[in-house]
Amino acid sequence: MKYTPTIGIECHVQLCTKTKLFSEVDNDARGKEPNSCVSPVDYALPGMLPRLNGEAVRLCILAGRAMNCEINAISRFDRKHYFYPDSPKGYQITQFYQPIIGAGFVELPSGTRVRINHAHLEGDAGKLTHFDTYSLVDFNRVDTPLIEIVSEPDIHSAHDAHDYAKELWRLMCHAGITYGDLYNGNMRFDVNVSIAPEGSDELGTRAEVKNLNSFRSVERAVEYEIKRQSKLLDAGEKVVQETRGWNDATGETTGQRSKEEAKDYRYMPEPDLPPLHLSNEFIETESKKLPMMPRDYREKFGGIIKEDILEILLDYPSLMIKLNEIDEKYITLVSNLFASVLLAEEKSAEYLNDLPTSKQLSDLAEMNDKKELSSTATKEVFLKMFDPQMKGKDAKAIAKELGVIQENDLGALEAIVDTVLKKPETQKAQEDFRNGEEKVIGFLVGQVMKESHGKANPSAVQEILRKKLS
Amino acid sequence: MEINCETIKHLADLSNFSVSDTQSKSLEKDLGEILKYISQLDEIDVDDVEPTYQVFEMENVWRADEILEQDATREELLALSKEQKDNQVKVPKVL
Repeated sequence: MKYTPTIGIECHVQLCTKTKLFSEVDNDARGKEPNSCVSPVDYALPGMLPRLNGEAVRLCILAGRAMNCEINAISRFDRKHYFYPDSPKGYQITQFYQPIIGAGFVELPSGTRVRINHAHLEGDAGKLTHFDTYSLVDFNRVDTPLIEIVSEPDIHSAHDAHDYAKELWRLMCHAGITYGDLYNGNMRFDVNVSIAPEGSDELGTRAEVKNLNSFRSVERAVEYEIKRQSKLLDAGEKVVQETRGWNDATGETTGQRSKEEAKDYRYMPEPDLPPLHLSNEFIETESKKLPMMPRDYREKFGGIIKEDILEILLDYPSLMIKLNEIDEKYITLVSNLFASVLLAEEKSAEYLNDLPTSKQLSDLAEMNDKKELSSTATKEVFLKMFDPQMKGKDAKAIAKELGVIQENDLGALEAIVDTVLKKPETQKAQEDFRNGEEKVIGFLVGQVMKESHGKANPSAVQEILRKKLS
Repeated sequence: MEINCETIKHLADLSNFSVSDTQSKSLEKDLGEILKYISQLDEIDVDDVEPTYQVFEMENVWRADEILEQDATREELLALSKEQKDNQVKVPKVL
């Protein structure tokens, strides 16, 4: 039978604040010793009270605006109780009843719209590492600020699930609210998948696959679930509502042993944190700080940069900011240079961590425009701008050092042409050209290029040659 | 709400407590009486009253995003736990 899949995605985004959500300790625990970024508040010692990080509130406004969401004037915090060693408090502080970010939508590159139900601010849990007979707990991640973004079930294919996850990542990176480091779990996705017979008005029973940390695994997990659930229904069996784990190596989901009784988090208002009551003015002032979003770049550069190239470059917010600073007439050239580095040269994203300045790039484009650099030389100079030895030098200095500046001085070029025309090996070609053999001009240009050690501007050379031989 | 041995078991499971039958019996009685006492509040009509989330009328209490030196060290904090290993808190295996 044919089925229509329905998919909703929950995404946790780690905010890149300096300190944690409720304590004044370092929020960036990457590469740091376990339990080195902790405070008595994180340990939930008696009498310790949470103190809300105002920056997290500001980042929520940006995240919300990036997803075209309403920002709720009033929001509150609640306690979600559960007993597990990753949470010393015995509860998570979250926003269950009144989240800060309201409804909105994310538009995928394909034009599909996925509505956002809401997004709330909450603290992360600690990290557990399991061993044979015991587990170890690291509290560095306790109360790292997270935004949980809850989509409506508007996604109907594995491909769109992938694109939604990726577009969310881009939006959050462009908004500058997260480091967006997927490898380190800065964004984690939970997908809810159900299928129903085509044309049916009712949704099927859903299974939730938790903790996916790449776009590819989101896509593959959805593909697998659609197949698994279709097989069950075809065989007359039922889909069980459950949480499933994803195994990236086997490409399969497996049911996780779940307790028989339904979860009971006993939500209650958090008495230690006063509510947020944001004025319109505050929300508007903060919203204005939202940087250019992918949708803005698509609108601005749509006619200048080819769509497939733009979509690649949009993965790199700092690169887009740089492009935006460059004179419009140079955008095509510079965007092509970046795309060629990312594609043909197969450089990784790290290569782009430390970008040339917009002045370096504009100068380079200008030299190319003035024909001082051939296209090959332009790319050569561009690549050198990432070289630790050359970094920081301006385009002209690098071009000089490489000896690739084209000779455009007509007087100098004419002198070289004259030398070449005097050479015995060019005599026959000159005669042939005068007799109408057009294609030998290429040979003569080549000779001049050789004489100039590749620095002559070939189109200028050709012009001079034609004048002299007419 | 009636407190019976199932309710006690449910609550104990949620908090990972083990409760013996004798304890359960006495908890049933105690909790039942506490709930009965509290339920007197149900007699008050609060239909037109805004829920009270906070007793102080504070809002927008937040701090600057600046790292502050903590007065407790990692070692002092870790020492509060029953067992440690490799600078982490060691707990019975959980899955």
